[in-house]
Amino acid sequence: MVKIFQKILFVLTMVGGLYLTYLSIDHLEAIYITTASSFIRFGVIFIFAFTLFIVIRYLALMFFSVIQTIQTSADENLSNTYSELVTLVVPCYNEEEVIVPSLRSITEQTYPNIEIIVIDDGSKDDTYKLAKSFEFDNGYKSLRVISKANAGKSKALNYGIAQAQGTLICTVDADSRLDKFAVELLVQRFRDPDIAAVAGTVSVVNTDTFITKLQALEYIEGLNMVKNGQAFLKLVNIIPGPLGMFRKSAMKKVGYYSHDTYAEDCDITLSLIAEGYKIDFEPDAIAHTEAPENLLDLLKQRYRWTRGILQAIRKNKRFLWHVRGNASISFVMWYMLFESIFWPFIQIWGDIFMIYLALTTGTSQLLLFWWILFTVLDIAGAMYCLLLTKEKLSLAAYSTIYRLAFITVINIAKIFATIEEWFNIEMSWGKLERRGRIG
Amino acid sequence: MNLLSFLSFLILAITLLTMVFGVIAYFLYKARERKKRVINLEYEVILERENAQMLFFTKE
Repeated sequence: MVKIFQKILFVLTMVGGLYLTYLSIDHLEAIYITTASSFIRFGVIFIFAFTLFIVIRYLALMFFSVIQTIQTSADENLSNTYSELVTLVVPCYNEEEVIVPSLRSITEQTYPNIEIIVIDDGSKDDTYKLAKSFEFDNGYKSLRVISKANAGKSKALNYGIAQAQGTLICTVDADSRLDKFAVELLVQRFRDPDIAAVAGTVSVVNTDTFITKLQALEYIEGLNMVKNGQAFLKLVNIIPGPLGMFRKSAMKKVGYYSHDTYAEDCDITLSLIAEGYKIDFEPDAIAHTEAPENLLDLLKQRYRWTRGILQAIRKNKRFLWHVRGNASISFVMWYMLFESIFWPFIQIWGDIFMIYLALTTGTSQLLLFWWILFTVLDIAGAMYCLLLTKEKLSLAAYSTIYRLAFITVINIAKIFATIEEWFNIEMSWGKLERRGRIG
Repeated sequence: MNLLSFLSFLILAITLLTMVFGVIAYFLYKARERKKRVINLEYEVILERENAQMLFFTKE
């Protein structure tokens, strides 16, 4: 009954979205005809083109995601025969609040052939001691803890991979708790020999505050619509830190994790795509992680993500115009450039332009239509994603605030991060303090 | 004032305020990080930065 209600709401929001698109275009046309200012005319055309592009993006991702979901459902009937040794590498630094539930979830995996390597990257707290208490070896599964001097996440990961016996490497953040079928589900995706990596799903576990609910909504949309859509093309652009699996031979070919960006997960994914590999996504392999609970911590996280992604794009910029050699990497690079730079800049510029329009011409309705249009797209996206997951329908209601305030604040931080990256301003990793919510 | 005009004004005001809030929040974040960096500064880091073998403090 609830699902039917959700489906009806989804169809209604889609119809509403189309009607609002028509109203916005009608409004833009009226402004274009009546104004004599070439700046306003340019702005109107720009806003129109951008809005149209975003609507097409939403619809395309949703369409690809639907097809991908249908394909995945059909594949579920295939027998579970893949049984290669998987090495789980868990880098950790000062994770005493979360390491116990994280390692417990890893040891409880249903996949039988597992080697777990915990790399303590010079923690100053009790992480090493707590992790050490989990050590075991029963012939099929084993867990060992290795301590090394602090040198950063990418070096800790490479250190763990160097010790690994498995042909598949599963990287897990120490602040994440895995569902017990996660590894088993990820492994099955490697039946296709061209698949070099598979991204897992990241779910926000601490959805008890307003800001974490908004992030939960963002994660659900970003994964179930965006990543699922990308998975249809086998071009998922980032293997998330909390959960991802790689073919070790492919990692070796691209030189494992590099140490020159703050987004080593994005960098290695781009390198794999550039080598011609496919990257997939497994929506049912879930890692539960805690999201930042206050705004400043959230900005800290997004600042690092934005600069890290920009560093990875800059490092691989030669592939932007590599259309003839490898169209896939070129497409992914442009897509990432759009999502991380162009979109935030245009969104904020659009807001400022419409405020200017309201103050100079008295036309303030355009901003209202624009906001409603994007909100309706978000609600439609959220409805679709909530239909696929077991998350609460009430999360869709947060789409209004999500578009009106949340995204604007995040986009402003992204713009500042882009400017600082442009001028090469010094930055640090910016580790978030854990609150132990994953247990 | 009809409903559409009222809503338009409301969204306009919220957008404007959110943008100002976003800028303030960003600078608050930067100020907090700067403060944290100074508090967390360790002897070894200063030593490496100063390119010295030892650091001496003089009494005034």
